[in-house]
This record gives sequence, C-alpha cells and structure tokens, in this order.
Amino acid sequence: MKEEILKTVAGAAGGLAKEFTCLRRWAGLGSLAIVLLVLLSGEVAWAQESAQPAEADQNGCLVCHGQEYLGAVEVDGAARDLFVRPQAYEDSAHGLLPCNSCHIGFTHDNPHQMVTNAEFFAETAREACRNCHADQFEMYQQSYHGELSRGAVAGGIQAPGCIDCHGMHQVQRVDTLEYRQDIQEICGQCHGGREQTFLDTYHGKAITLGREASATCVDCHGSHFILPTSNPMSTLSEANHLETCRNCHPDAEEGFTTFLVHIQPTSTDAPLVVFAVAVFYISMIVVVFAFGGIHTLLYIYRGLKNGLYFGKGGHH
Amino acid sequence: MAAGTDAREGVRLVYRRFSAFHRFNHYLVMISFFGLVLTGIPLKFKDSLWAEFFMGLIGGVEGAGFIHRTMAVFNFAYFFLEMGYMAWYVAARKGPIFGPDSIVPGKKDWQDIKGMFRWFLGRGPKPRFNRFTYWEKFDFWALLAGTFLIGGTGLMMWFPEFTTSFLPGVSLNVALVLHSNEAFLATGVIFIFVHFFSAHGRPESFPADEVIFSGSLPLDHYIADRPAEYENRLRAGTLDQVVRPAPTGPMTRVNSWLMVIFSVVALFAATYTMLLVVWPLLF
Repeated sequence: MKEEILKTVAGAAGGLAKEFTCLRRWAGLGSLAIVLLVLLSGEVAWAQESAQPAEADQNGCLVCHGQEYLGAVEVDGAARDLFVRPQAYEDSAHGLLPCNSCHIGFTHDNPHQMVTNAEFFAETAREACRNCHADQFEMYQQSYHGELSRGAVAGGIQAPGCIDCHGMHQVQRVDTLEYRQDIQEICGQCHGGREQTFLDTYHGKAITLGREASATCVDCHGSHFILPTSNPMSTLSEANHLETCRNCHPDAEEGFTTFLVHIQPTSTDAPLVVFAVAVFYISMIVVVFAFGGIHTLLYIYRGLKNGLYFGKGGHH
Repeated sequence: MAAGTDAREGVRLVYRRFSAFHRFNHYLVMISFFGLVLTGIPLKFKDSLWAEFFMGLIGGVEGAGFIHRTMAVFNFAYFFLEMGYMAWYVAARKGPIFGPDSIVPGKKDWQDIKGMFRWFLGRGPKPRFNRFTYWEKFDFWALLAGTFLIGGTGLMMWFPEFTTSFLPGVSLNVALVLHSNEAFLATGVIFIFVHFFSAHGRPESFPADEVIFSGSLPLDHYIADRPAEYENRLRAGTLDQVVRPAPTGPMTRVNSWLMVIFSVVALFAATYTMLLVVWPLLF
C-alpha cells in the first residue's frame, strides 16, 4: 500500500514538475494541469490564520498549506488535498518540528521544484521517519509488515508503512488514551473481524470506556517488530506467550495463555462449550422474556377488565 | 373482605409474612443487585451513547469495577445467609420441606399456572394461592441459581490467574459469556418481565407492595391474596402464629414514610436501569 501511495504521489509530483518545465504542453494537457486553489477564505480567515503562525513553521509553508481550500488536481485527474490544519499540527507530537524535518529538501520555491522524480520522493518519505526513529524503523524492517512492504512475502498483500498506523500531520504519542483507543480501528482496517472480537472481551470493553491501562492489540501482538504468532520470535509464540501475559498479570500460569481473545461465541467456529452456553442463554432469554411478557400483559388485561386496578377490588 | 378483622375488637390486625431476617436479606439483595446492574450494564452495552457518560459519573471503569466488586461481596453475603438459613431450616426440622407452605415447587403450582391463564382469558376463577405463588417461587429459585452462576463466574474473572492455574483458559471464555448473559437475563426478569410487575405492578398490589419492607400486610389483603393458606391455617388452628396486632407508635409512621420513599426511589432506579437495558435493543 505504501509503495503504491508513494508511487502515485511521486508520479504526480514528478508530473507536476514536468508540466512546469515543458510549457508547450500546457494547452494539450489543460485538463490534467495543476490547479492551485488558494481561495475565497477571505480577509478574516486569512488574518486569523496569519495572526497565529505555527511556531515550527519557519519557512512559511502554512501561509499556503494552512489555507483550507488548498488543493491540486493531479496528472491522473485525482484531486489532492494539500491543506494542513495548523492547530492540528501544532497539537501533534511533532508540533514543534519544522515542516522540512519530514519533507526533506522542500523549499518554498513554488511549486517545490526539488521534487522531480518518483525515486527521490519515495526515498525522502521513507527516510523522514528513520532519521529520528531509527530503532523503530529497524524493527519495522524486520517485522512481518516490513517484509510485506519490501514484497518479500508472496501474495501481493498491501503492507502498512509508518504513516498507516501513526498518521501524518496529526501524529500522536502512542501512550495517549485516544491513540490506545484508536489502535483497534487502525489494525482493524486490515485485520477486520479480529477487532470486533477483541472489543467484546473485558480488555476491549474497558479500553472503549476509557480505562487506559487496559491491553490493546499492540500490547499482546507487539508493534514495530510484529510477527505472525507462528514465528518463534513473536510475542505470542508458544515460547513467549506467557511472558507477554505476565507483563500485566505477573501471577499468570501456562493455562492463562489459552484464553481465547478472538472468538465470536455465537459462531460455530467458537469452541463447542462456549457456543453451547451462548446458544443456551439466547434461547433462555427469549423464552423467559416471552413467557414473562405474555403473562404480564394478560395479567394487566384481566386486572383492568375486572376493575382490580381502579375499582372496588383494589386493596390499597 | 372484612372477615377476620373482628377477631380482636378495636385492634387492627396484620398478617406477618416476612421475618426480620428475610427482610434484611432482601435489602442486601436489593442494594447489591442495583449496584451490580448499574455498574455492569455499561460494560455489556459499551457502544451505547450513555455507557461512557455513565461510566464517567461513577469514576470510570476502575471506579465502576470497585463498586461492582464491593456489591458482589454484599451479594455473596445474602447468598450464604440464605443457604445457611435453608440448611438450618432443614437440619432443625423447623418446618416441612414440601407441602402447601413451602417455597419448593409442587404439583399445585403447575395447576395454578394453567388456572391463571384460564382466569386471564375469562374461562375460570382465579386460583386460590398458598403462601407462595408460582411466580414467587420462580423469582426465588431463579435468583438463587442466578447468584450462584453469576457470582461463580464473576469470581473466576475477578481472579483470572487463579482460575487458570487449574482450569484451561477457555473457562474464562465460558465465564464471560455466562456472566454477561445470565446477568442480562436476571436484569430483565427483575426489572421488566417478572419481579417488579408481580410484586408491585399486578392489580392486587398496585402501585406498591410494602410487605417485604414492613414484614406484614393487612389481614383482609392477606385473606384475599392467599386464600388457600388462610383456610389451611384456620382449619389447623395455626392462624395465631402469623396474625398479630398492627404495630403502633410514632416509629411506625416514620417507617411507613421511609418505605414509601424507598419504594419510589427504587422504582425510579429500576425504570432508569430498564431504559438502559432496552435502549440498546431498540437502537
């Protein structure tokens, strides 16, 4: 996925640059041309944005990119949002970093003519995170996700890169409650179904309702160095499973690790005993509520009919 | 209706239905059950709009967990007191285990169920009940069994490390499914489908039955509501064991007011809880 995104972006960026260098093509490629939409936000909005320039914005990037309607139409015709909400960036974990600490090599030349080819752009984006987070990047490289991103795993599955889990301009610290609540959905984008079964466990319910200390996906599966449970080095491999549980449950024994997080009790895939209990209770609830409900309604009907509620038969 | 009230002239007579022990036990159940439901239901319906808001009010998941476990201890207290009482009742031969006065279901209960449905549909007279009706027996045994199951699975999940030291991990999966569903069943039975209606909402008791709080009820109400028990006692000459003058004095009035206030608060709390339960089913 990352590769593709980068290719698309880089292709577009490269395309843009070409547009500007080969002015003769302007007419023929009119419909694919860049459209800068610095628009209509009016004097007031402009003044507000300008009055509070992001501290980190030493190069004035947000003068244009802080405008809500800034966008471009790319060579393939796709619309691209180029707006960065200044407040959101300032509130992010990177809020004090200048833009070009990630957008390496970008200058305020309009329109960023440094970006001339796909390779450069892809490499820049890859290096941006690595420059500061080398350890995490190295672990990622060795993880299953990293293998996927290099095409090392057959099957052509799309792999998540840094920004797919961490976001870009709104990147958050991973120890905030918000991020710990969001991580389930982030993983769920690719691992659908697993997200829901987790959310039905106590861990899932507690994190949803704001208990920060509750385990999330990454607390058991790991994050940058994530591996399939079949890999001996995985946090949930047979050898490491108990140790992982003991991070939070120091008194856990081997049996503790056989609790099944990702089961849907009413599915036939669940262990028979779980499935049987679930089905038994659903039936019980239906039967008891139905019988009780009918009994109650008939009782009320008879009570009203005989004047027991508001008539001579009442006792209170 | 006035039969029996003239037994002792000028004195208002009451039928004493519940001893202080049973009333105390009911308070234990009532308070702990409310506490458990209010702190447990938001977990079950975590995606509801009210769940997070309500959790915030009671100190978040951790606060709710603390209340839930404290209330569970009170709930266990009721359970063991009741089990102890029943063991003592049987061991000391305090009374017959089976028979008309017993809480143990019998053949007459099945006949009463059929009889009530005939009465509902206007095809027969209302059955003449003994000391406990079939729905009261259902309430009692369902609660006792439910407490055992919910309490047991609750303890399993309270101490998961201990549980899995001798049981496989899947036992915790079973515990969660059982705890959650049995609790939902119990909440529905108590607040909607059985207990609240049969205790307070049925025409003979509407709008509130104070007997579980005061312990006694007016003699005429008793005779009309439990005619079979009354006749049995009349025939056996044991009416004196349960009939006595109504308590008098300034405290009875205060108590009565307290009971009314308590019932109204309980009804509101139950209605609110009922809304919490029904809401997610509708939306």
